[in-house]
Amino acid sequence: MTKEQKFTELIKDNEGVIFKITTVYTNNESDQKDLYQDIVYQLWKSFDSFRNESKISTWMYRVALNTAISHLRSRKKQPGGSGIDKIVQRATENEDQEFEDRLKILYAQIQKLNVLEKGLMLLLLEGKKYQEIAEITGLTESNVGTRISRIKQKLKSRILKS
Amino acid sequence: MELEELKNLWTELSDELEKQKNLTDKIIMNMTQQRYTNKFEKITRYESVGAVICFLVAIGILWKFEELDTWYLKLCGGITLAFLLIMPVLVLRAIHQIKKLNILELNYRDTIVAFEKARNHLLMIQQFGIYLSFVLFFTTIPVASKLLSNKDFFIMEKEFSLYVLIGVVMVFLYFFARWGYRSYKKITNSAENILNELDNGV
Repeated sequence: MTKEQKFTELIKDNEGVIFKITTVYTNNESDQKDLYQDIVYQLWKSFDSFRNESKISTWMYRVALNTAISHLRSRKKQPGGSGIDKIVQRATENEDQEFEDRLKILYAQIQKLNVLEKGLMLLLLEGKKYQEIAEITGLTESNVGTRISRIKQKLKSRILKS
Repeated sequence: MELEELKNLWTELSDELEKQKNLTDKIIMNMTQQRYTNKFEKITRYESVGAVICFLVAIGILWKFEELDTWYLKLCGGITLAFLLIMPVLVLRAIHQIKKLNILELNYRDTIVAFEKARNHLLMIQQFGIYLSFVLFFTTIPVASKLLSNKDFFIMEKEFSLYVLIGVVMVFLYFFARWGYRSYKKITNSAENILNELDNGV
């Protein structure tokens, strides 16, 4: 398998993950596309330097999240959600509007978090264990735990307020 | 929505996305070849054009510096020159600091710290530039007046329209500076919060 084949396989396997990251960190579709491309570009750039010291998913999340932080966002923020018209683009007409609406609420909740919490939340939702979250973020495992319980409290208090 | 609900919805979203694989090998490799124009690169381009203009004007002033024949005109010329030569360099250097962040090696926490610090630095310089533009406005008029029409602004007879023009520019600069300051505070306050939180550990 050539380097290009390995890389395209990796991206195809994780295209959904990259898509979700770009939706969390951007406010409109144009920014989202830019960030998607930048993440793929950065992953390709560092693909040679990936040394199997960590899991490939750890490496991928780290590069993708770091790219997202340093991606300059435009200010076109729309109230109440991610600002992206359709979160799941469907090829057929069978649109599930209710699912879309729930997703918008989900993204709205994540958008309210600060940049550090956003990353933690995303990794948590992706089903990562505290140890891997710690590896990606550079926080200690206990710190990850404490911050995640704070995020949970924040979410709860928002529900009570609303 | 509680966390469990969010998790379930996220899993639903992941399953949905899993069904819709859109990328082909060709699209992926195209993305690796044609890097989109990063917005910092766009800013660099605009700032570079601005820097070239500043340097050209500075060269023009230097070329005719001898024509500034009084101590106060020389002082105005010196201040204008310093602004035109130093500010673009400071801004370009600050943008370079952001662009050179090693996002491929750093972890998430360190990237946040490095990025926010570099961005604050850039904003601070831009903010400083806005305030300095007030000073520059008053030093440029006499210099331009002398070099372009050989008139000493300080002793020449001034028409009323000139005062009106100065007033309008001052009002514009005031609102521009106020807008700049508010934007700066908004961004840096949120950056400071996150940096403090990270510095304090938990």
